[in-house]
Amino acid sequence: MAVVTVPRRKSRRVQPMANAKLVSGLALVVFFLLLILAHPLFQATIWDREFRVYDPFIGYDTQVVHPAGPSADHWLGTDSLGRDVVSMFTYSARYSVVVALSAGLAIGAASLLFGSIAAYKRGWIDSVVTHFSDAMVFLPALLAVYIIGVGQDPGEFGALAVGVTFGVLYGLGPATATVRAAALGVMAKPFIDVARLAGAGMTRTVTRHLLPHLVPHAAVQAMIGVAGAVTAEAFLAFRSGVGDNIGFGYLVFEGLTWGELFAGVLETPWWVMSTGAAGITLLAGAFFLIGAGLREIFDPHSLDPRKVD
Amino acid sequence: MSLVDTQEGAVRGPRIPWLVTFLARRGLWALITLIVYLAVVFILIQVWVPFNFATPARLAGPDAYQAALEALGLDRPLTERLFEFVGGLVTFDLGTSFTGDPVTTMIADTAPVTIFIFAVGALLAFVIGESLGRFGAWHRNWPTRSILSTIGVLFTTIFPPFLVFLIAFFLRDPFWDLREAMGLPIDSLEVWRDVAVEQNEVMLLMSLALLGAVIGGALVRIWAHRNRVRWVAASALPVTVVAAVVGVGLAGFGAEAIDLLYRSEMSQTVATGSPLLVLVGVVLITFGQVMFMMKVGIEDERNEDYVLTARAKGLTEEVVRDRHVARNALAPAIAGSFLALPTIIAGMVIIEFGLEVRGLSWAFFNAVETQDIPLIMGVLVVLGVMGIGLRVVADLVIAYLDPRQRRA
Repeated sequence: MAVVTVPRRKSRRVQPMANAKLVSGLALVVFFLLLILAHPLFQATIWDREFRVYDPFIGYDTQVVHPAGPSADHWLGTDSLGRDVVSMFTYSARYSVVVALSAGLAIGAASLLFGSIAAYKRGWIDSVVTHFSDAMVFLPALLAVYIIGVGQDPGEFGALAVGVTFGVLYGLGPATATVRAAALGVMAKPFIDVARLAGAGMTRTVTRHLLPHLVPHAAVQAMIGVAGAVTAEAFLAFRSGVGDNIGFGYLVFEGLTWGELFAGVLETPWWVMSTGAAGITLLAGAFFLIGAGLREIFDPHSLDPRKVD
Repeated sequence: MSLVDTQEGAVRGPRIPWLVTFLARRGLWALITLIVYLAVVFILIQVWVPFNFATPARLAGPDAYQAALEALGLDRPLTERLFEFVGGLVTFDLGTSFTGDPVTTMIADTAPVTIFIFAVGALLAFVIGESLGRFGAWHRNWPTRSILSTIGVLFTTIFPPFLVFLIAFFLRDPFWDLREAMGLPIDSLEVWRDVAVEQNEVMLLMSLALLGAVIGGALVRIWAHRNRVRWVAASALPVTVVAAVVGVGLAGFGAEAIDLLYRSEMSQTVATGSPLLVLVGVVLITFGQVMFMMKVGIEDERNEDYVLTARAKGLTEEVVRDRHVARNALAPAIAGSFLALPTIIAGMVIIEFGLEVRGLSWAFFNAVETQDIPLIMGVLVVLGVMGIGLRVVADLVIAYLDPRQRRA
C-alpha cells in the first residue's frame, strides 16, 4: 500500500519573531523597562539608605574622590558632584519612556487621522494635507522643539510636553506622507467598494475597513519618529542642563562640561557621558530597529512610488 | 500605415522635451511647498514660542518690558509683521536682527560653509549608503548583514553632541598632523597673508567647481551611455571631480582651499572646528538611513521575474545586482531617504555648532538662545530652501532613472 504524503503547504502567516531587527529592538526596550524597575529595587535592597549615598540628586559618597571611575561600589562610577551614575541612569530612564510613549501615540494619532481622511476624501482636502506634509518634512522637529523649549524649565516643558510636541510636528510631516500613500493603496482595493455598496458611510468605512490596514504603517512611522523624540528630549536636557530632570542628555552635558572645566586637573569623566550617550543611542536605536523590522514585515513596498499609487 | 502616422503626429503637436515640463511642474511644487513651509515657520516662531528677545527686560518692571517690545517692533499686530516678512522675502531682505545687524548679511557670511557641507555631505553619504546597502542586501550571510545593520543603526541614532565629542577626541589631532605633513603653516593668517581674495570667494569657487564637476560628469555619463562608450561612462564622474580639484590647485588657490577645510573663519584659534570634520559627522549620521532604504528596495526587487531571467541568460551576480536590481531599487531609495531629511538637518546643525564652525548653525544657536526672531526665521528659511532644492534635484535624478516618473 503506497503512502502518499501530501506536502504541507507553507504557512503564509507573518512570523514577526523571525525578524532579527524587531526582536533585538524589543529586547532593548524590555531592558530599559527593567532598568526603571531596577532603581526602586536597588534603593530598597543593596543601596545604602541611611546616608542616601545612592540618591540620584543629592547622593555623595565620602569614601572616594569624585569623579570616580567604575568600581565595585559604583558600577559605572560617580559624577563630579559625587552622585552614583547607575542611580542617575536608572532614575532618568523613566523620563525617556514618557517621551517615547507620548511621541509615539501623537505620531500615530496625527498620521492616521490626516492620512486616512486625505485618502478617503481626495480632492482639495487631499491636496491640502499632501502639501502640508510635504512642507513639514523640511522642518526638523528637533530644532522646532528646541526653539519652543529653550528658556523654559522642565516643570513647564517637561518630558511629556516634549514628546507630544515632537510627535505632532513629526506626525504631520513624514508620518502623514507615508500613511496617506499607503491609504491610497488600500482605497483602491475592491473591499472598500463592497463596503460602500453595502451602505457603509464614511465613519464606518474609515474606522472598520481603512484604519486596520493603516495601523502597521503608522506603527513603523511612530517607532522611527520616537527614535528622534528620544534624541530631541536628550538634546533639550543637554542644552539647558538645569532643573530636576536628570535625563540621559543631562548626563552627557554633565560629563562634557565638567570634563572641560577641569581639563588637565582631573580625569575627564568619560564614564558619565558615555553612559548617557549609550542610553540615548540604545533606546533610540531600539525604536528605530522595531520600526525598520515592522516595515520589513508589513510593507516592503512602502517606499516604491510606483507600487503605492 | 502612413495615415496612422500622420494622425498621431497631428494629435501630438510640437514635442516639448520632458525635462522642461518636468522642471516646470516640480518648480511649481517647490514654490507651493516653500510657501506652506514659511507659513508654518512664521506661526511657530511668532505665535507659538512663549519667549522673546524682550523677556529679560521683565526683570526691570512692566514699563521697561513694554518699551523693549516697542523698540523691537513686537507690539505690532501679527498681520503687520506678516506683511513685513512676506514683503522682505520678495525683495530678498530678511529684516534686521534684534542685535542690529541685517539678517541677510549675517546669513550671507555664514551660509556658504553650511551649504558646502550639506551638499557634499548629502552626496557622499548617499554614495556610501547606496553601495553599502546594495552590498549588504545582496549578500545573505548573516555576519555581513548584521554587522552592517548594527553600525548603521548606531550611527543613525547616535546622540549628536556625543558624536561631536568622539570626532574632536579621536580625529582632531591626526587631522592637524596631516596639515603639518602637507607643509601648511599652522597659523592660517600666514596662508592668507598675500592673497587678495576673500575666503568666501574661495569657498564659492570650490563649491562651484565641485558642483560643475558633478553636473558635467553626470551629463558626460548620460551622453556616453547613449552612445555606448562604456569606458567613458564609467570614468566620467571621477575624472571631472579630480579635474575640479586639480583646477582649483592650478588656479593658485590650492593652499587656501585646503586651509578652508580646516577652519571657517580666519580669526578662529587653532584648536577649533573644521568643515571637513563636520562633513565626516554628517556622512556618519546619514549613510545608515540611505543604507536601510536601499536594502528595503533591493529586498523588494530581488524576487522579480527579470532577476531570474537575467541569471538564466548567464549574467554574473555583480551585473544582475548593479545593472538590473540596483537601478530599480534606487528611485524608491532616494524617495525614502527624504523622509529622514529633518533628522539629518537637525544633526548637521548640532554637529556644526559643536565643532565650532562659523556656519548657519552658529547664527542659529546664538539666535535661539536669545530668541532673536528675525535671525531664527532667516536661518530656517535658508534651511528650507536648501532642503527643497535638494529634493528637486533628487526628483530629477529619479526621473532620469525611471522614465515612468517623468510624467508623474
